[in-house]
Amino acid sequence: MRRFDTIVTENRPVADGYRELRFAWPPDDGRRADDGRRADDGRNADDPAPGRFFTLRAGGRYDPALRRPFAFSDWRPSGGAGGGEAACVFQLRGRGTEHLAALRPGDRLDALGPLGRGFGKPPRGARPLLIAGGIGVGPMLYLAAALAADAAAGLCEAPILAVGARTAALVPVGLLPAGTAVCTDDGSAGFRGTVADWLASFDPGLPPAFYACGPAPMMAAVAAIATARRATYEAAVEQWMACGVGACAGCAVRLRSGDYAKACSDGPVLDGNKVDWEAMA
Amino acid sequence: MIDDRNLGVTIRGMTMPNPVGVASGAFGYGEEYEALVDLDALGAIYTKAVTPESRPGNPAPRLADTPAGMLNSIGLANPGLDAFVADKLPFLRGRRCSVVVNVAGKTEDDYLRVVERLDEEAGVDGYEINVSCPNVAHGGLAFGTDPAQVERLTRRLADARSKAPGRPIIVKLSPNVTDIAEIAKAAEVGGADALSCVNTLVGMVIDVKARRTVLAMGTGGLSGSAIRPVGVACVYKVSRAVSVPVIGLGGIASADDALQYLLAGAVAVQVGTALFSRPEAPLEVLDGVRAFMEREGVARVEDIRKLLR
Repeated sequence: MRRFDTIVTENRPVADGYRELRFAWPPDDGRRADDGRRADDGRNADDPAPGRFFTLRAGGRYDPALRRPFAFSDWRPSGGAGGGEAACVFQLRGRGTEHLAALRPGDRLDALGPLGRGFGKPPRGARPLLIAGGIGVGPMLYLAAALAADAAAGLCEAPILAVGARTAALVPVGLLPAGTAVCTDDGSAGFRGTVADWLASFDPGLPPAFYACGPAPMMAAVAAIATARRATYEAAVEQWMACGVGACAGCAVRLRSGDYAKACSDGPVLDGNKVDWEAMA
Repeated sequence: MIDDRNLGVTIRGMTMPNPVGVASGAFGYGEEYEALVDLDALGAIYTKAVTPESRPGNPAPRLADTPAGMLNSIGLANPGLDAFVADKLPFLRGRRCSVVVNVAGKTEDDYLRVVERLDEEAGVDGYEINVSCPNVAHGGLAFGTDPAQVERLTRRLADARSKAPGRPIIVKLSPNVTDIAEIAKAAEVGGADALSCVNTLVGMVIDVKARRTVLAMGTGGLSGSAIRPVGVACVYKVSRAVSVPVIGLGGIASADDALQYLLAGAVAVQVGTALFSRPEAPLEVLDGVRAFMEREGVARVEDIRKLLR
């Protein structure tokens, strides 16, 4: 992980109140290339694997006091040495994201990452079912692309992405890969109903492996289905964060065991069957 | 040029290589920040609180964004004394910076247990006694608001030091009291070697749309730039009420912020919340303090207070 000053390369609306922000990720200078931790798939812990995240300073130097965390929604390496272009999808929610929305290509950006633990690989022979609700679409876009590439190389089954939103205007259609199942509560696009409703009636043809990111009720619904189907469930959680590196314990997520996981360093990808989703609601 | 030796700050048997430390709770046990901060350039690491038994911490959400600050209600989440010694202390041992363990508990005996056990361990340079955490029912603030209790607890801890007599007892004060000088004097009478001030201020944020408090616990501790004037005023008052050294904290993000505390009477400072925005903040603070000393011809950090007109 590194904190660095970089440049915005693109910032555009992708749905009503949603934007995609892209920025340059400079090559590592090599001094702290490896923080000692390894991503699940064995890659260097400084690689932006799906499910991992970065934090952005969204305003003045110390106001807001808290950086804002965002999952990688895309990653395009270029030039070697860990450099490339990173992207996130964000929703305008408050003063931090309003600041980010105003950034233009060429503007300076203060980024810190990559952080956290990303998604694991699906079990052999399982169908990866990627479920996104609302702004949870960000990490699932990058995961869908990575798993599709793995599937093309014969490393796993082809993933299926389902995206849920209240209404069609909130779906970032332009970012979705072909074949995405779109679900809207009001039926204005795709399947009418929640993404959990869609999931309950969907036959993946193979034993499923669930991946999800979204609001707590959706995550709980996926947990119920994953438990019933005895499937793995990799859940990317969202929580306010302060340090982002596992130091402050501010981003606690309650587990069914009564313990707490740190979203930033134990997660953000946790075993969705172990999270106490009711406590998150 | 300021000789690095002149940046040192000695409290009892502990000499911090420079006056800028990282505040308890914000920096974990050091290891978490290793990739982002040169730990050996710091003056001191004040660890996350250690209690005798592990604590899971408070229900979530534990954080809220506030104007120029934040609220936290972590609830002293920590792995407990034994796990601290086994898993966290080895990383800290032998550091160039001082290692000050922040100690918390429900009872006086809890505090005593932590200090007595750690006295047996190498790698600890001092203790910061947390009698000011606003986030747990019995975890400190109940002690920290009563002068008689602060004096008694401090005396018991100071008297218990036999195996490691050089380690200072630093009592961390709460601003959530009517007269912080009264508590400070009680700690001094009890035998405190230094005082750190201030801990967080009690605060609350309500989500109007949801019509509920943002923090699961309702209230939390306010920190960040927003509280700096409160902290500076407390240090000014406390440093004139006691003769033991005062360590200032509360909203320090820049050298100017730190110099306000040092001019107000502190001999050292801690950077906390600013780490979350810029992990390099403490080292920027140190560079600025050093530059100030060179510019003003101040030989020692503790002489900075003499410059206040």
